[in-house]
Amino acid sequence: MNVLAVEGLTKRYPNFVLENITFSIPKGRIMGLIGKNGAGKSTTLKAMLNLVRPDEGSIQMFGKDFKENEENCKQNIGVVLGGIDFYNHKKIAQITDSTKRFYKNWDEAAYQKYLQTFSLDPQKKVKELSTGMKVKYMIALALSHHAKFLILDEPTSGLDPVSRDDLLGLFRQLVRDGERSILFSTHITSDLEKCADDITYIKGGKLLRSAEKNAFIESFQHLKEPGETGELTLEEIMIRTERSHYDI
Amino acid sequence: MISNLLYKELRLAAHPNLYIFTLLGVLVIVPAYPYGMVFLFGCLAPFITFMYGRETNDIYYTSLLPVRKRDTVIAKFLLVILAQMTQLIISLPFAFLRVHVLPEGNPAGIEANVAYYGFGFMIYAIFNVIFLTVFFKTAYKVGKAFLLAVIPAALAVTVMEVIVHFPQFQWLDSVEPEMMLQQLPILILGILVYIIGMFAAYKVSANRFERVDL
Repeated sequence: MNVLAVEGLTKRYPNFVLENITFSIPKGRIMGLIGKNGAGKSTTLKAMLNLVRPDEGSIQMFGKDFKENEENCKQNIGVVLGGIDFYNHKKIAQITDSTKRFYKNWDEAAYQKYLQTFSLDPQKKVKELSTGMKVKYMIALALSHHAKFLILDEPTSGLDPVSRDDLLGLFRQLVRDGERSILFSTHITSDLEKCADDITYIKGGKLLRSAEKNAFIESFQHLKEPGETGELTLEEIMIRTERSHYDI
Repeated sequence: MISNLLYKELRLAAHPNLYIFTLLGVLVIVPAYPYGMVFLFGCLAPFITFMYGRETNDIYYTSLLPVRKRDTVIAKFLLVILAQMTQLIISLPFAFLRVHVLPEGNPAGIEANVAYYGFGFMIYAIFNVIFLTVFFKTAYKVGKAFLLAVIPAALAVTVMEVIVHFPQFQWLDSVEPEMMLQQLPILILGILVYIIGMFAAYKVSANRFERVDL
């Protein structure tokens, strides 16, 4: 069963078009959404969540139309938007207190456990948390209402290599029992090598390919130059696909 | 759900200033003061809270909660209505009190009488309808929305304060019971204008916000 099926998602801006994006995520898997800065990754995620109003396309989440079942779908997801800090001067405890009321499945015991596991002090203000801790706090909130599907926009950007590895390890753990699924966007290809089951690649607002990781890598091997023997890595694939030639 | 939204607004979205300006309903006990200022404080308070909301990414946060996109608009409307109505309720005992402790009346402008409250509802309505509908066009242009809304609201306050100095409108400045009975239609009209204005403003704002790309 797919937790998410995006079909023909299109959003037109005056200077940018996100065109006909189609992909799906099966239950229990991690999908990495890659593309360089400005490719349309965040727009895709926001359009999926109705934060940005898509011009065309359909979003099926947990087998239901997202727009028709917005409240219900959101009960079962956790969203972490990268680079957007909420209520910087409020304490974690205060934000949680207001947030938990909205969730039918809020599990206070689980929340306390995640705070401990992630070493989050509820008396700390958001601005006192490191980038990694902010992401972990949002994940703690999501897990405490038993979110089945996590959507994270560039959760690893701005993290040091240790925190990044830590977070990616956590992602793998979260999907281990096959109940949760994760979609995360990134422009860091090593994130995908470590963590993703499937990869969706967006370039200039268009879907280049969405496939299982090995099949994805395989399908780009035609980019090899004469004489190259080894398999191209994801980083090489991305660089060769995106490479600009300046005529100066 | 509505109470959850309001709780979130009060605990996370509201700037502390909203509480202070709401308390300024007590200004009707000041011996000589243009009481119309109370309503302008009731307009200024949402503006500051909306600015604060932009700084804290409140709209984003609310949109990610398990609510419909238009519920974010409901949350803001509830907060504004609650603050303004609380401000009026806070002012009421002081309006009664001043009749006894300051029987010589307010030389600066209108008395805190029935007509005053009627005009207050209308002034709030003028401000809210413009401020909220313009704001939700973009969900970030707070300054423009405030400027467009506060100018007509301030003009309405000025008219209210000035008009009572003309002899033919002196009945609007009275706190005598029979005169206040005469002023009652203004209060009723004010309440109606406020209710209808807020419903209409919500419809327009929600439709506009649905089209906003956050």
